[in-house]
Amino acid sequence: MLEARLPQAALLKKIVEALKEMVNESNFDCGDSGISMQAMDSAHIAMCSLLLRSEGFEPYRCDRVISLGLSFSSLSKVLKCAGNDDVVTLKAEDDADTLGLMFESPKEERVSQFDLKLMDIDSDHVSIPDQEYDCTVHLSSAEFARICRDLSTFGASVVLDATKEGIKFSASGELGRGGILLKQQGSVDDSSPTSTRIEMREPVSVTLSLKYLNIFTKAAPLSEVVTINMSSEIPVLFQFSIGDIGHIRFYLAPQIQEDD
Amino acid sequence: MGIHSLTKVIGDNAASALKSNDIKTYVGRKVAIDASMSIYQFLIAVRGQDGQNLTNEAGETTSHLIGMFYRTIRMVENGIKPVYVFDGKPPLLKSGELAKRLDRRVEAEKNLEAAKEAGDTELIDKMTRRTVRVSKEHNEECKRLLELMGIPIVNAPCEAEAQCAALAKSGKVWAAASEDMDTLCFGTPILLRHLTFSEARKMPIDEFHLDKVLDGLGLSQDEFIDLCIMLGCDYTGTIKGVGPKTATSLIQKHKTIEQVIKNLKESQTVPEEWNYAEVRKLFTHPEVLDPSEVDLKWSPPNEEGLRQFLVDEKGFNEDRIAKGIEKLKKGAKTATQGRLDSFFKPMSGKSNGTKRKADKKPGTSDSTSKKAKSGSKRTKTK
Repeated sequence: MLEARLPQAALLKKIVEALKEMVNESNFDCGDSGISMQAMDSAHIAMCSLLLRSEGFEPYRCDRVISLGLSFSSLSKVLKCAGNDDVVTLKAEDDADTLGLMFESPKEERVSQFDLKLMDIDSDHVSIPDQEYDCTVHLSSAEFARICRDLSTFGASVVLDATKEGIKFSASGELGRGGILLKQQGSVDDSSPTSTRIEMREPVSVTLSLKYLNIFTKAAPLSEVVTINMSSEIPVLFQFSIGDIGHIRFYLAPQIQEDD
Repeated sequence: MGIHSLTKVIGDNAASALKSNDIKTYVGRKVAIDASMSIYQFLIAVRGQDGQNLTNEAGETTSHLIGMFYRTIRMVENGIKPVYVFDGKPPLLKSGELAKRLDRRVEAEKNLEAAKEAGDTELIDKMTRRTVRVSKEHNEECKRLLELMGIPIVNAPCEAEAQCAALAKSGKVWAAASEDMDTLCFGTPILLRHLTFSEARKMPIDEFHLDKVLDGLGLSQDEFIDLCIMLGCDYTGTIKGVGPKTATSLIQKHKTIEQVIKNLKESQTVPEEWNYAEVRKLFTHPEVLDPSEVDLKWSPPNEEGLRQFLVDEKGFNEDRIAKGIEKLKKGAKTATQGRLDSFFKPMSGKSNGTKRKADKKPGTSDSTSKKAKSGSKRTKTK
C-alpha cells in the first residue's frame, strides 16, 4: 500500500494546477523511491514528467509498486477542499480503486477525508534518450512566463536564440514583430538566484509553439527558476524544480523548417 | 467495396490494432489519400437541402470541388500534409465487380425514374445517391484544384489504394487513408479511415496498424491476404458456406487457400474458375509507381489561380474562398511542427491495451531516479 504525508497542501495544489492544462488524466506510478508520472499531449507535440522523491514526504511508505490512474480535473477539485497550510496524507491500498486524501488543519482541529475514484488508463510510456544539451539557460520563471505571454500577441511561435551574451526571444505576425533579450548576468557572486545564467557549448536557435509554452508556464509558481535545455532540432526541455523533492519537466518538439 | 466484414474480423481478433483518434493527433503527419474514393464520397455526401448535388449557376456539379476544398483545408489546418492519389486503369480482375456496379447503377436509374413518377421523395433521394459516378471531368477538376492549393498529387498506374500503401510502406508518407480495407492487403503499415469525413459528423478517425492486425490474428502478411480473399474482395468470388468466422479459423489452421480447399466440407463449394492465385498476385505485386521516384512537394497556395478557378469559373462565393485560402496559408505553417514520437520511442516490452489493474508494472521505482532517462526503466522486474 501507499501512504505519503506531505506537510503542505499548497505544494500539491501548485503541482496539479501546473499540469492540468496539459494533461487530462494520467497514471501516477508510486514505488519505494517516490511518485512519478509521465504524459504526452494528444497531438504528441509536448510531454511532461513529474517526479516526487520519497524524501520529500514525511513519512513515505510504499511497499509495492502501484499505479494510480487519476483525472487531473477531479484531483484539482478535491484539492480545492484543502487549505494551503493543511497537511495532506495520500493513501491507497494495493488493489484499491480509490485514492484516499486526508487534509488536517495545522492546529489539528479539523480533519477531512476524501476518496477519489481511480481510472483505468492505458499509458504509453516512452523512453527519453540521454541527451547532452548544447545550451542550458537558467532564468526567472516569472520573467519567462511574462515573455511568453507578451510575445503571444505577436505570433503563434517564438524563436529562441541563445548565445554567450544572452538569450533572445522573438516573434512576428500580422501586428508586427517583437523581441526580448535577457542578458547574461556578469559576476556570479552578486547575482541573485533568478538572474539569467547561460552554460553553452555552441549557440542554439530553435522555434517553438507559444501555445505550449504558455501551458508550461503554469508551473512557474512552483519554482523561481526555470531551466531551459536545448540543442538544435531536438525537443527542448524545460525544468521546474519542486523544492528539493523533485521536479516537473516539459519537453516540446521544435518546429522544423522543411526543405522537401 | 474493399474486404467483406474485415473490420469485424479485426475487431474480434485484434482489437488493439484499432485506435480511434481525434484529427488533432495527426499534426505533422504525411498521409496518402485515395482521391477517387474521396471524390465519390463528396459526390454522395455533399448535397443541398433538396438532396441534389450542389451546382453553380450554370448547372455544373460542384459537390466534389467543395468537398475537396474544405475537407483538405480541415486537414491542413490540423497540421496534416495530405497527398492525393488518383486511380489509373482498373485492374482486369476488377471488371466483374465493375460490371456489377454498373448494373446496380442502371437498376438505380430505372428505380429513380419510377420514383420520380410516383413522387416518392425518399426513394428519389436514395436512388440519386446510387446513380453517382465519378467522371473524368470530376477527377480532372479536382486535380486542378489540388495543384492550385499546393497539395501534391500522384497518378497511380492502377489502383489508388495500392499506390497509397506503397507510399506508406516506403516511408514516403506515414499512413494511407482510404475507406477501402483492402489497403491493408496491399501492405500499408497504417490505415486511416474517416479522415476525409465532414467535421460535423464528429466521426473519430480509425487507425489500423497492420502489424497488430497480423499479431492478433496470428497470421503472416501472405496468410492475411488469403484470408481477405476468402472474406470477399472486389476481384473474385468466395467459397459458399464459409463466413468470416470460418474463414478466419480455416486460414489459421491451414495457412493457405490451397490447403483450405483440400480440407473443405461437402457443403462448402469453391466458385467456378476461382482465380484466387491471380488476386493474390495483385495484392502482393500490385502495379504501382516506384515510391522513390515519386516527388512529394507541398507549396503555398496559388491565390490568384484559386480565385479564378473557383470564383470566376465555378461561381463560388469570393469571401468564403478568400477565408479558405487564409486558413490554407496559416495551416501550412503549423505543418512544420515536429512531433515527439520521432525522438522518444515507446517503451518496448510493454503491451498496449492491457488493463492497469491486471498489470503490475515493473520497474517504477527506477523511474523516479535520474537514471530513468536512460530508457531502460521498464525492463527491470521486481
